[in-house]
Amino acid sequence: MFASSSQLKHWMFNNEGEIQSLRQEANARYVEEHGTKMSEEQRQAYFLSASEERHLCRHFEFVLKEFCSRFQPPMPKYVLGTALCYFKRFYINCSAMDYHPKDIMLTCVYLASKVEEFNVSINQFVGNLKGDREKFANIILTFELLLMDKLNYHLLIHNPYRPMEGLFIDLKTRFRVLENPEKLRKGAEEFLEKSLMTDVCMLFAPSQVALTAVLVSAAKEKANLDRYVTETLLKGMSPEDIKKLQVQIKKLRYMVKSQEQIPREQMAHLQRKLDHCRNQENNPESEVYKRKLQEMLNEDEEIQTKKRKKISEEQKKKDDELLFMPSYVPSSNT
Amino acid sequence: MDDQGCPRCKTTKYRNPSLKLLVNVCGHSLCETCVEALFVKGSGICPECGTALRKNNFRVQLFEDPFIEKEIEVRRKILKDYNKKEEDFKTLEEYNDYIEMIETLIFNIVNNIDVDETRQMIEQYKRENKDQINKGRNKKSKDEEYLECLIEQEKEESSLKRKFIVEEEQREKDSKKKHKEALLDELMFSDRSALDILNEHKTDIDKENELRVPVMATTKFSTGIKLMGKYLRHIRSASDEEKGGGFESKLACMRALLDAVNGLFYLPDQV
Repeated sequence: MFASSSQLKHWMFNNEGEIQSLRQEANARYVEEHGTKMSEEQRQAYFLSASEERHLCRHFEFVLKEFCSRFQPPMPKYVLGTALCYFKRFYINCSAMDYHPKDIMLTCVYLASKVEEFNVSINQFVGNLKGDREKFANIILTFELLLMDKLNYHLLIHNPYRPMEGLFIDLKTRFRVLENPEKLRKGAEEFLEKSLMTDVCMLFAPSQVALTAVLVSAAKEKANLDRYVTETLLKGMSPEDIKKLQVQIKKLRYMVKSQEQIPREQMAHLQRKLDHCRNQENNPESEVYKRKLQEMLNEDEEIQTKKRKKISEEQKKKDDELLFMPSYVPSSNT
Repeated sequence: MDDQGCPRCKTTKYRNPSLKLLVNVCGHSLCETCVEALFVKGSGICPECGTALRKNNFRVQLFEDPFIEKEIEVRRKILKDYNKKEEDFKTLEEYNDYIEMIETLIFNIVNNIDVDETRQMIEQYKRENKDQINKGRNKKSKDEEYLECLIEQEKEESSLKRKFIVEEEQREKDSKKKHKEALLDELMFSDRSALDILNEHKTDIDKENELRVPVMATTKFSTGIKLMGKYLRHIRSASDEEKGGGFESKLACMRALLDAVNGLFYLPDQV
């Protein structure tokens, strides 16, 4: 249930401003760590600003959506919802320069398909990608644990799809006045798709999103559902609560309607900038990364050989002690 | 398994594993033949401990350890007299104390500790609570009553089912007989070809079988399904694989509806 979920307890925020400030903090942390010797202007020219990061992330969210829509076998919508939610949560606490969005994007989809029981093997998954498939497979498997860690292992996402189905069932059963609720389905699904590109999953409950979707679709089809909402769905609730809910719905609607276009022209330029300033330690294709990996393996080996040496030395000592103990030396004469 | 042979005839137990051992109040066991032999002479003492025995005090040995058999015997005797039930006590502690006292008595007698004292206590208790013991002997505890009730219900249900099956069979037999006779009549007296008549009868019989929908004894429906009935009409029914896995359409429907209303009034802390 949403009410008892980790989504409600840890990943819901008060308003857009809070999310924005968290992202800015993540950005600032990265700049502090990696730009110690630069001046202010140099930093601005070299590193991505928080808004540029935001543009990049939004672009990659769009790419994620396209990837999922073309996925073979056909991917259900809630997997896309889960993957996008993971992606958004990851980049609240980490900067895009630290981990490149294109790596994390694939990892999010892979992890989401596992969690939502839409099982695809890694080979089937990378079969949908063009290019060096083995490399992609390695990237995904490398970042999977990291992604889970940054999500604090809160993997269950409540998407608005099931609440929407529930609302349709309820409409068909209790609000017979509306002849064909199915005609509202398409509009509601379009609204939900648009809402995936915004941050509403972290600001509003999934049932609120679903209800807004249905109401928006009804407005388009010129069907009036106000009676349904006030008399059937929310029967018995106090008028103040109903008013507050209406305010929420309005806010939601506005947020989804007024989302900005992603500035496509800047994308190429921003991506190049990112290539320069990204953290090479986390870039699976860089020399630094490969060297670190090698060092780690060597370290492991060193530790192993040291251990073995220690054990054999101790064994030798024990043997010597036994041999030189005076009372145990067998006497050859009576 | 052989309890190391019967103490009197030693070898006979090994030779004949199906020979039963009988045990008596002192806890020592004897094979059947030895029991007969012992009481032929009319004397009745245990060959090992010399306690006086009566022939009808021998019981079939259930457990290998004769000590346990003795304890069971003692327990049965004592519980016949100390037959108060939990409902007779006001507090749980009183009942627990009572049970503990019984266990102490049994333990003392079985292990031959203060046997005389213990027997005196038992006699005293018997004298004090004579009426209650007699009353309690016939009363059954609540659990036993409940179990009996259940058993009766089951018996009723199974007898109803049996009656129903018998009636069904009878009905089928009658209808078959009727059909046969009708067929014979038509074959004899009508002018149509024999083939036509046969085909017509066959289709009639098939139609009748379809109409006779088996009426199963209806179990009580839970109120949940009654309430959900209207909702379930708008949802696809569960496939066979899903039903096998325990997923009913009612569960999915409830989940969707609950999710739809759960969290509708969620508000962030600082709006």
